[in-house]
Amino acid sequence: MMKKRVLLSLSMVCIAGLFFFGLPTGCSPAAQNTIKVGIVDTYTGPATTFTMDVQDGFKLAVNEINAKGGVLGKKIEFATRDEKFKPDIGLAMAKELVLNEKVDILMGTINSATALAVSDFAKKEKIPFFVTFSKSEKIIGEKGHQYVFNMNENTAMIGKAAAISLAKKPYVKYWIAGDDYEYGHAIAETLWNNLKKIKPQVQKAGESWWKVGESDFTPYITQILAAKPDFIIVATGGSGMVNFQKAAKATGLSQKIPFYQHTAIELSVLKPQEMNAPEGVFGTANYFFYYPDTPSNKAFVNEFKTAYNREPRIGALSGYMTAKFIAEGYKKAGKLDKEALIKALENMSLESPVGPMAIRGCDHQLELPMYFGVTAKNPKYGYLVAGDIQVIQAKDYMPTCEEVLKVRK
Amino acid sequence: MDAVYSIIPAGVFSQVFVGLSRTTILFIVASGLTLILGVLRIPNVAHGSLYMIGAFTAFSVTKLTGGGSEGFWLALVIAPLAVACISLIAERGMFQFLYEREHLMLLLLTFAISLIFGDLVKLVWGSEYKSVPVPHMFQGFVPLFGGLPFPLYNLFLLAAGPVVAILLWLLTNKTKMGKIARAAAVDREMVGAVGINVSRVFAIVFVIGCYLAGLGGVLVAPTVSVTLGMDHNLIMEAFLIVIMGGLGNIWGALLGALIFGLTQSLGILIWPKFGIIFPYLAVVAVLLFRPTGLLKSTW
Amino acid sequence: MSRKTISGMGAGIIILLLFPVFLPRFYVYLASVILLYGLLATSLNLVLGYGGIFQFHHAVFYGVGAYGTTLMLTKSGLPAIFAFITGPLVSAAFGLVLGIICIRLSRLYFGMLQISLGSLVWAIVYRWYAFTGGDDGIHGIPMPEMISSPKSAFYFTFIITIISLYIMWKIIRSPFGSVLQGIRDNPVRSGMIGINVRRHQLLALVLAGFFAGVAGSLFVVVDNSVFPDMLFWTLSMEIVIMCLLGGWFTFLGPMLGAAVIVGLRTFVSMYTVYWALVLGIIMVLVIFFLPSGILGYAVEKFERGFRKPEGGEQ
Repeated sequence: MMKKRVLLSLSMVCIAGLFFFGLPTGCSPAAQNTIKVGIVDTYTGPATTFTMDVQDGFKLAVNEINAKGGVLGKKIEFATRDEKFKPDIGLAMAKELVLNEKVDILMGTINSATALAVSDFAKKEKIPFFVTFSKSEKIIGEKGHQYVFNMNENTAMIGKAAAISLAKKPYVKYWIAGDDYEYGHAIAETLWNNLKKIKPQVQKAGESWWKVGESDFTPYITQILAAKPDFIIVATGGSGMVNFQKAAKATGLSQKIPFYQHTAIELSVLKPQEMNAPEGVFGTANYFFYYPDTPSNKAFVNEFKTAYNREPRIGALSGYMTAKFIAEGYKKAGKLDKEALIKALENMSLESPVGPMAIRGCDHQLELPMYFGVTAKNPKYGYLVAGDIQVIQAKDYMPTCEEVLKVRK
Repeated sequence: MDAVYSIIPAGVFSQVFVGLSRTTILFIVASGLTLILGVLRIPNVAHGSLYMIGAFTAFSVTKLTGGGSEGFWLALVIAPLAVACISLIAERGMFQFLYEREHLMLLLLTFAISLIFGDLVKLVWGSEYKSVPVPHMFQGFVPLFGGLPFPLYNLFLLAAGPVVAILLWLLTNKTKMGKIARAAAVDREMVGAVGINVSRVFAIVFVIGCYLAGLGGVLVAPTVSVTLGMDHNLIMEAFLIVIMGGLGNIWGALLGALIFGLTQSLGILIWPKFGIIFPYLAVVAVLLFRPTGLLKSTW
Repeated sequence: MSRKTISGMGAGIIILLLFPVFLPRFYVYLASVILLYGLLATSLNLVLGYGGIFQFHHAVFYGVGAYGTTLMLTKSGLPAIFAFITGPLVSAAFGLVLGIICIRLSRLYFGMLQISLGSLVWAIVYRWYAFTGGDDGIHGIPMPEMISSPKSAFYFTFIITIISLYIMWKIIRSPFGSVLQGIRDNPVRSGMIGINVRRHQLLALVLAGFFAGVAGSLFVVVDNSVFPDMLFWTLSMEIVIMCLLGGWFTFLGPMLGAAVIVGLRTFVSMYTVYWALVLGIIMVLVIFFLPSGILGYAVEKFERGFRKPEGGEQ
């Protein structure tokens, strides 16, 4: 009886195998009539709010480019994969996109671990990889290589930009708090180191770190309040931003002690809270749909709003510009060659909705302006927006080429 | 009071009370879970999804009533009922056929349902963060414990916990239905044999348990951002609380939630960096000394 | 085993060995992933299906094995072979320690205690930046020349998986395996006839941990990276699903379950981002109509068909 079972099991496994391996390989088009971009990103869970913007911004630009006849006579096509915030799945999907779907370019992801793993794979396969939302500075730093491009700000840049702005404020006694993972620690550390460099008299009153996805911040806030610092650096990300602001409002923290969060002044954090968000919270962000109030930004916002019925946020710009750079890069290269594309992209500058943006040649980091501001009410909107905006130029807050290349292995 | 604060810092008191209000949400969700576990023997992983649906429904209700903070009270009534309706459909359509199955299978089934619910929530509500405003009368804070602010809404939660606990106790101990349910938990054949429709009792218990998940979702909504994936964190905590308290024991759920909430908020004071491991250590400690939980389990 | 079985197995092995020759690279990679997940699920089934122990956090041993191997490869100067031995051994050691703590508890309590302990291990891996790379994990792990290409990685995975499966098969067929199944079916009676129940279960946990560690090491070979997510409880859930979906009372069921899950994940996600929804619906259908899993159902059908004319063998 056992042998039947074994035999049957084996045949079942083989049939299952044939079933899967015999399946058609999706929508493989005739070779090389299109430029294929594979997007691996998280479309499940809280991160979706950012990744959908990247995808929609990218789609907007791709439609524009294709309507004008594409690039070098070829249309841009893209496929998306949901990695569910799991790096092992994300890596498997990147492999599937490259090996099976035969994409020319990889793009994604909000998850740093996935971005780093995919980056390593892209390096081996010599596929250009555009990082659109992960903030890890390792991507172009320690683990950087010539096939990876960072199309958004990273933790090193955030920390430095915030330090430059905060140093101008009178605060001395700082408390540091944040999500207890790489992103939180990296921001807090670079911010603090830069701040100490610019303004040596600052002191650290204490630190607190909570688990990623913490939903109730009240206990941490009472702890911080008891220590009476002048200012709090809050290095949270994702939905923690809203949660912290809600708790800050409920405990009256926002009226007693000012604090800073990266993206605190951003739409994704403020819009859901409507008029209930705390006022006077300092933050940095790379994009607002209402600032700068230029015709090109307005045009972009209108286009995005007509297509998706919502305002674009930072991810939208990042996705949009990635598509533009890919298209212009191929045009400049004059042929569908990956190495030529990379050469063409280095030091390329393009007009973006918020002014010119360039890809730095030495480390493939997109040079984009950073805005520092404070949450404030504005009669024009049904939610709080950034007020008192100061622009920090890319050259001022980006680590130098030497600094980046020094840590590269 | 100042003399007390000189021995124990005011922060500790504040921390304890904040921990207690956090406990309320955990208790309400966990009590529903333990009720279903105790009577129906279903380890309901989808309980977290129902909690999430409760929060999202609360958002929709407040939005539909003009986005004002008073919509919360309407949501408090409607959202848990909506969740109860969903659970009734699930129970009549699915679970009632599976009561005799292996626990592992039920665990798997509810996990599958949680996957389905997770994607359905994304389809219905989209991927943006949602926020439910704190009801007007509970906005702001009161200075308590040496002037440290204590959010009014947390005070409201502190009051809500015992109310729910007492109502549940009355329901299970003082009503006929509750007595039947408790008897069925111990010996369902016997209850069936005396001519009681066990299936209907089970359905009612299931719906009440899920109602509690929805209630927890509504109550938590004003304090957090309502997002996809909020079910994930909670369900594991709720299960650990139920296990710690003793499967099927409502007071056990209360005790477990207390321990969980307090170890977490006090852990932060003791060792800020690793504050989050304390609740898990508490579970390990409890199970090592009381392998079937603190209070009497119905299993 | 009869000659027929052996020849059947031989044929199966040869087909699989020929995969890299006629299949594109992607399928070779996919086959490697299926094999290693299959091995992982089978190792869980050793305790879950055959031992009746609710091992809810099996991923811990998988992750620990992967990290053990990786850290030996990257931080020690020793030859790679030591790394591949260390990984599974560390997993087995974790299996022993966690087993000793949890073994006193039964069923659901065992599973939940294991989840708490496993979450502690996960938290340490997630935070210990200097040692484990924190939440970013470790990438681009150097592999010895011999197994660095996708094809050679497949062959390596394949051979190790077959050897591991064979050993596990032998374990289940051994007197120890019979005792284990006896304990699963009736722990009280087993105890009364003088069997040391806990010691047997503990040994099974150590063995399961060891083979999960082997699977973890194979992941390092195939994907050259490790992540803390490999120790997270959601993955453990997935492994349990693989076992139940394939059939947890059959030896190769978990392997089939792994193939189905990995296949679904890969092919459904090509068409929709809602693959969790699809997976959920399929799972519900399987639970309703194939309660003993896909392979379990097939075996039942197959045996019933043969048993009737033979007048009930066994």
